[in-house]
Amino acid sequence: MKQFSNRYMLLYSLALVAVSAVVLSVTAVTLKPREDLNRQIEQQQMILKTIGLDCAKSETPQAYERHIAEAEHNGKTYYRYDCDERQGIILPLHGTGLWGPIWGYLALDGNGKVVGAVFDHKGETPGLGGEIATDKFAQRFVGKSMGEHPIYLTKNADKDNPYQVDAISGGTMTSNGVTQMLEEGYDDYKKIREDATR
Amino acid sequence: MRNWKLITMPFDKENPITVQVLGICSCLAVTAQLKPALVMAVSVTVVVALANLIISIMRKSIPPRIRIIVQLVVVSTLVVLVDLFLKAFVYDVSKQLSVFVGLIITNCIVMGRLEAFAMTNPPLPSLCDGIGNGLGYGIILVALGTVRELFGSGTLLGYPVMEKIGAYNIGYENNGLMIMPPMALILVGLIIWLQRSRKG
Repeated sequence: MKQFSNRYMLLYSLALVAVSAVVLSVTAVTLKPREDLNRQIEQQQMILKTIGLDCAKSETPQAYERHIAEAEHNGKTYYRYDCDERQGIILPLHGTGLWGPIWGYLALDGNGKVVGAVFDHKGETPGLGGEIATDKFAQRFVGKSMGEHPIYLTKNADKDNPYQVDAISGGTMTSNGVTQMLEEGYDDYKKIREDATR
Repeated sequence: MRNWKLITMPFDKENPITVQVLGICSCLAVTAQLKPALVMAVSVTVVVALANLIISIMRKSIPPRIRIIVQLVVVSTLVVLVDLFLKAFVYDVSKQLSVFVGLIITNCIVMGRLEAFAMTNPPLPSLCDGIGNGLGYGIILVALGTVRELFGSGTLLGYPVMEKIGAYNIGYENNGLMIMPPMALILVGLIIWLQRSRKG
């Protein structure tokens, strides 16, 4: 076997790491605008989905412009929607699931009734906690209420109880994260409402 | 001819999962549904093929004492590149895979092929070997993903198969065990059993 000097090995590894660093930084910087745009469009798509608008990627920015207005309360962003005579606010939610961040948007009408919901996650287990990103899960929130009490996830939720939603079997940690996120969202919502009526 | 054999051997006789028993960890994690399994199969194939090619080109200059580190640097660079490209061009898919893309770095198949093949073989056969092993891994992943999603959630690629054929109306229920990771291991065991018994 060929012998390599220590000096060679040191220089070799330095050169290798330098090349790798350059390649990665150049790629990352070049692709960054695309990725950011994707993220932004995705967020707009999610927000539009809560009020029942399912937009293709290309139509999203215009539809967003038309129906959604960004607002701020105590430094926190929330959204107002105005679409086909329906008006209300869209509450952004942020929390932690089992493996990483989870988030969502909840569209509420004037009385705090949920018009639509959408959730997503960074890295929950597909098929288990990851199910929160499905329409099936989001649909469970429609018709529930954030009026007097935060909505929470529980086993065998009572259909007639406006504050209970069925949790995900096998996704308990993620479900707990969603409940916590809803509690925090409720606090924000309460404050926004109090200030609006003052 | 020899290169073609390098591609097809890992499908069955030299399968990375069922024969070499490598890459088991990720095959448990991403096969609860078919779509992540598919994309993972493609990503791993791309990474193994390119890593094999690059390492094979560099093989004569790599000092043996630091070869594992060199391989790791090459593999992780490729994986981060794949991740960046997925995020920029197929954002939805990249979200599906999330953490698993990063885990390709630790996939034993990648390191295994680099050590066992690319370090001692010329670039073209190495590329073929990489493609073959990636696909061999992919076949098992797709098989597991299909069975687990179909019987665990009643869907395929999100399409509600079981509901459409009316299985629920005659008392059929989804098998919750299917979406649990241990079931992937049991299924891999069954595939290995089938494969070995067939060969005798």
